[in-house]
Amino acid sequence: MNGYSIRKASIADIPFLVTVVVAAEKSGSDKLSYSTLFDLAEQQAKDFIAAMFEEEIDGCEFSVSSFLIVEYAGEPVAAFGGWIETLNEDELPSKMLKSNLISYTFGRAAMESLKSKAAFISELVSERESLTLQLEYLYVVDEHRGKGLSNRLIEALEQTAFLQYPSVTKAQVQVYGNNTNAINVYKKNGFQIKEKYKTDNAEVLNLLPYNEKYIMEKLFKN
Amino acid sequence: MIEKLRTIFVSVLKHEEFEMTDSLSADQVNGWDSLTHMIIITDIEAAFGIKFKLKELNKLNNLGNLISLITEKTGQK
Repeated sequence: MNGYSIRKASIADIPFLVTVVVAAEKSGSDKLSYSTLFDLAEQQAKDFIAAMFEEEIDGCEFSVSSFLIVEYAGEPVAAFGGWIETLNEDELPSKMLKSNLISYTFGRAAMESLKSKAAFISELVSERESLTLQLEYLYVVDEHRGKGLSNRLIEALEQTAFLQYPSVTKAQVQVYGNNTNAINVYKKNGFQIKEKYKTDNAEVLNLLPYNEKYIMEKLFKN
Repeated sequence: MIEKLRTIFVSVLKHEEFEMTDSLSADQVNGWDSLTHMIIITDIEAAFGIKFKLKELNKLNNLGNLISLITEKTGQK
């Protein structure tokens, strides 16, 4: 891979993983949901995201163990997370692991802010299918784009998933409807749009990058 | 304690279409999603003056477990 190497993430990568989550969540906009939904300054939201990774809970998008990192000249330059849904210590859906992490880390004031906003985004809340490979938070540093790193990460996450759970039959990823770059990357890798979630509530665009979310799916040929 | 919990669930979920049995779990309740879950947990902590550990939260899978945990943390029945 021309100087690029791929490896599992470790706790030393947490600062980079925070960059990954923030960039992927913003999805090309200036709206960071972890800041807007909870009335937090962006730096505070980043500190909380780091704190969630530090808990080392496996099986969701805030699990260090979910992520693979591409390294170039000793520096992380790309990352993508993936896990087998509900195949974790407590057999919990990843949305519960994530909600527990957020309510534990963000604190009461942030949850009071969420109360007034939750209704605006509830139409975009989707379920993840049990025992599928769930992918979340793809990011490639600007100057390393166009080198096939996303494809390499998707391939490696699929291989990891097969080792962990050989009966896995599909992979799914959620993407904002206006993120054409990401949608094209997933299409090139065999994903198709399976479901679309949309809300017409105008307030959503003050909170999230876009008002439409797609679930894309890839079926494995076993 | 059950009445206190019921009041919290109703106020967050905006309906009463569930029964307060030990086996009640989030996936059986309309509207109990990742967003409302966070609010319910935080409201329970405030109402009972407790703070759950992350490990405790991840072990909760039904109302019976929740009641035992609150009992353990507050001494209340």
